[in-house]
Amino acid sequence: MKHISPNQVAADSPARAPTRRALAKQQTRLKVLAAARRLFSEEGYEGATIRDIAAAAGMSTGAVFANFSDKSDLFREIMVDDMEALTAAMRDAATRGRNVEDAVLKVFMAGYTFYKSRLQLARAAFSVSWDKDGGPTLRGLPSSTTPFQELFGEQLNAAIERGELSQEADVKLRSQMLFDTYLSNFPQAIFEGWSLDALQARAREQIRILLAGARRG
Amino acid sequence: MTIDVERVPGPPAARQSQKAATRQRVLAAARELFDTHGYQGTTIREIARHAGVAVGSVFTTFASKGEILSEVMQARIDPLYAELDRVMPHLHGATADRLRTMFAIHLEFEARNVRLFLSHIAAAYDWTLSPGARPYGHNTRLMGAVIECLERGKALGDIRQDVDCHEVVDLIMAAYAWTYRLVITHDADAQAMIAAMNRQIGLIVEGLAPRP
Repeated sequence: MKHISPNQVAADSPARAPTRRALAKQQTRLKVLAAARRLFSEEGYEGATIRDIAAAAGMSTGAVFANFSDKSDLFREIMVDDMEALTAAMRDAATRGRNVEDAVLKVFMAGYTFYKSRLQLARAAFSVSWDKDGGPTLRGLPSSTTPFQELFGEQLNAAIERGELSQEADVKLRSQMLFDTYLSNFPQAIFEGWSLDALQARAREQIRILLAGARRG
Repeated sequence: MTIDVERVPGPPAARQSQKAATRQRVLAAARELFDTHGYQGTTIREIARHAGVAVGSVFTTFASKGEILSEVMQARIDPLYAELDRVMPHLHGATADRLRTMFAIHLEFEARNVRLFLSHIAAAYDWTLSPGARPYGHNTRLMGAVIECLERGKALGDIRQDVDCHEVVDLIMAAYAWTYRLVITHDADAQAMIAAMNRQIGLIVEGLAPRP
């Protein structure tokens, strides 16, 4: 099934207004997605059923299945939407960094800020991602890691060009470790209620250590 | 076959040992199921069936699936640390190498039942986790051993004096946990995980070296 975002609808048919039917279908999709987002956040991935999601959206399970092939399809769509918004926010944040450590820290913080209001959804995503059979649920995500690692890689490469980091800095390994470290702080946010300030203080030290071996001067 | 252990009559001592036997059977069955079907894929009902006990008797012993898993993981600690304790006194050389050996022992050990360990990590995000459960991320013995290793590095002079060992330990533990991702993404075996961890330790420790 082809997924159409509101933007695509507008872009695909610039000359013609979408039909009433297409608009109604779009409305249904958005309603289901909003309900699913809420239930995944409240009940977790396993706990949320299509039946409950349909009821929360005020429609039949049939209407849900007319738009999404299964629960994993719904979850994936929510994750993809969030990832697009998140990478945009992170990219924007990186441009405001004073140096490489600061740019990377701002990327981390853009992520923590983004998820501050949706920590339970992040929790559901972590739970699924650690399940070896959770693959199908997340498969088809534009590989959940690469866009982020690329973003870190770009920061490191720019720093090498500026002469902040040594030419020999292992960019690939460092980018991956920066991303892993970024993720590793979520449990503190989810379970221990760490504030953004506390996360920032911790992340600053982590980033400093991870870049120290490649720092010049 | 289901044996209703609860209904077997007997004096209190016999009942106690009966209860202990049920407990052991449930733990053994759960260990096997978590290791083959993962955390989400295992239900209490299946654990009971596999152990040959009534569902009710599982619930009289354990509050939740998460608690069963905690017990299973707790039981593995002694054999794991017996291995580590045997090796630790013989560790020599640079701090990075001593850390590498420590983590290689862990990775090799957990890789024998790797889905069990993945279940352990996944359970930390479980919605139904009871307060009594000890999820992944609270392995104080490993963290203590890492700190000891770093402190020794300071004494030996290959770690800077101003390094905050507690900050470094968090970073190393994060790298360690995420190394298990490779099992999910690349079906990595123990050797592949150890190689990845070795590189990560190298990168972290490089940043702790005294400045020339």
